[in-house]
Amino acid sequence: MFELMGFNEAEIDAIMLSLKVAVYCTLISLPLALWLGYFMARRNFFGKPLLESIIHLPLVMPPVTTGYLLLVLLGSRSVVGQWLYATFGIRLAFSFEAAVIASVFVSFPLIVRSVRTAMEMVDSGFEEASRMLGAGKWRTFFSVTVPLALPGIVSGTVLSFARSLGEFGATITFAGNIAGETQTLPLAIYAYMQIPGKENETIRLVMVSVAISFLAMVISEWYVKKMKHDRG
Amino acid sequence: MTEVSILLPRKNFDVAINEAFTGGITGIYGPSGSGKTSLLHAIAGLAHPAKGEIKINGKTLFDSAESINLPPEKRNIGYVFQEGRLFPHMTVKKNLLYGIKKKATCKVSFDEVVEMLNLGHVLSSKPSQISGGERQRTALGRSLLSSPQILLLDEPFSAVDTSLRQQILPFILRIQLKVKIPILVVSHDLPDLLKLTDDLFIMKEGQCLGHGMYYQLIKDPEISGIFAGNALVNAIKMVVSKVIPNEGLTRLSWQKNGCEVNIKCEKSRKTYQKGQTVKIFINADDIALSKFPLDHVTIQNQIQGTVTDIIQQDGNLLCIVDVGFRLVVEITENSQKRLDISAGSAVWCLFKSAAIDVAG
Repeated sequence: MFELMGFNEAEIDAIMLSLKVAVYCTLISLPLALWLGYFMARRNFFGKPLLESIIHLPLVMPPVTTGYLLLVLLGSRSVVGQWLYATFGIRLAFSFEAAVIASVFVSFPLIVRSVRTAMEMVDSGFEEASRMLGAGKWRTFFSVTVPLALPGIVSGTVLSFARSLGEFGATITFAGNIAGETQTLPLAIYAYMQIPGKENETIRLVMVSVAISFLAMVISEWYVKKMKHDRG
Repeated sequence: MTEVSILLPRKNFDVAINEAFTGGITGIYGPSGSGKTSLLHAIAGLAHPAKGEIKINGKTLFDSAESINLPPEKRNIGYVFQEGRLFPHMTVKKNLLYGIKKKATCKVSFDEVVEMLNLGHVLSSKPSQISGGERQRTALGRSLLSSPQILLLDEPFSAVDTSLRQQILPFILRIQLKVKIPILVVSHDLPDLLKLTDDLFIMKEGQCLGHGMYYQLIKDPEISGIFAGNALVNAIKMVVSKVIPNEGLTRLSWQKNGCEVNIKCEKSRKTYQKGQTVKIFINADDIALSKFPLDHVTIQNQIQGTVTDIIQQDGNLLCIVDVGFRLVVEITENSQKRLDISAGSAVWCLFKSAAIDVAG
């Protein structure tokens, strides 16, 4: 399909890579966010504000800083990086996995915030009612809490998906800008912008980027509306 | 039997209860904020007492000394919350089926519950699309279908709409009649509670003031003080002995130990079958006392009895009259003096057929 629209191989790679990073990132973030969001919504514990600040830090920190910190923590010269290489032969930095990790860190605050707010809005009375009907904690979570918080979970997921599509700073710092491996859509756009005479290609990729983000938002809005309508 | 012996600290006072509840319907009555709901929560496992023990039919649910504390889902208790708490994302049918256990043998089937609570027409609706009464009935049915050993009802008459309050009453009576599980009903609405049961458990500031038959309890000045300001209702189970359609009357009889009491009640909007058991309600202030039967009056019900107690309440007097069953009659002090009524007096209780309300 993209070939028909006149994209070259590197551009298609960048688009597909971006989508792949975003999908992987969402698959990792969502279960974690469901657990952490529920935990933060229902429990009070010592150090909760501190944990909250740490989770939300990537939201306010420059993404380059996040990327740099990831490099320091997980790069090949770090303790963790050296251990990973010695034990599994894995080099995280400047790889596809690094792009996913960078995206997860940057987009996680968005999804966890939405999930948490949505779960706080779920009256815990419904959970009590479920327990009184003989359902354990897990069944209550998946058949009462999650469905009731679903609009917030969906919009949080879309928001984090879109954020990881657009991730630039942390990715270029921690994963680099390697065509076909870590060069996602925003990085490809940036690369084109550096080359004089590539204005058309730049615009073409920008339009793809806008289209994907727009589509994601429209689908999520439609779904949330439908869900609200179904519940009356 | 449900045995509760707990200490549950609350903000203003401790809820300290040591009591056993047997079968039938027990009404837990007390002013708002007296710890009634806390007691239900403790039984259900939604609140944790500081110490004590809770047992149902010999099975320990909570024991602080043994560190036993079963989670709510393992207690096998039906709890009908004040607001119903139907799951808004599920249909009525899914709500009803939510608590059905595959292995347990349920005392009632799904179809029986749907029929008994008249829910057939709303099964595929969402809770937001049905009326308040239907929502309450769905909540009741959902709890019943989870095959509980005991049913806890928290303020079932708290609906804003008064006509709705009355709607749920016959359904609770029907459940008690057909399913025969113990029911604890928390309410601060005395007249409605009395229509359900005579067996009351009175609470004030976390303590039990008394537990027993209501005409016994009102003899206690402190309890009668708590009752003050509420309409007192006599609720009596009777059997339909004759239906007289052209007169618009139904003849009811009450029989026990060779004693028979017959009354006529006026209920044209519903037809009753001969032999059917119904529960009738007569307000204490709708009954008049007379020393002799009256011939030339329109009042059709005149029952002879003996005054057993006279209780001062709120400037008025409550006479407890034994007519076979007990009737609580409210009279003024002036009337008592005029007629010279005292404990032991033989009196006639007079009430109009139209003053009787029926549920059944």
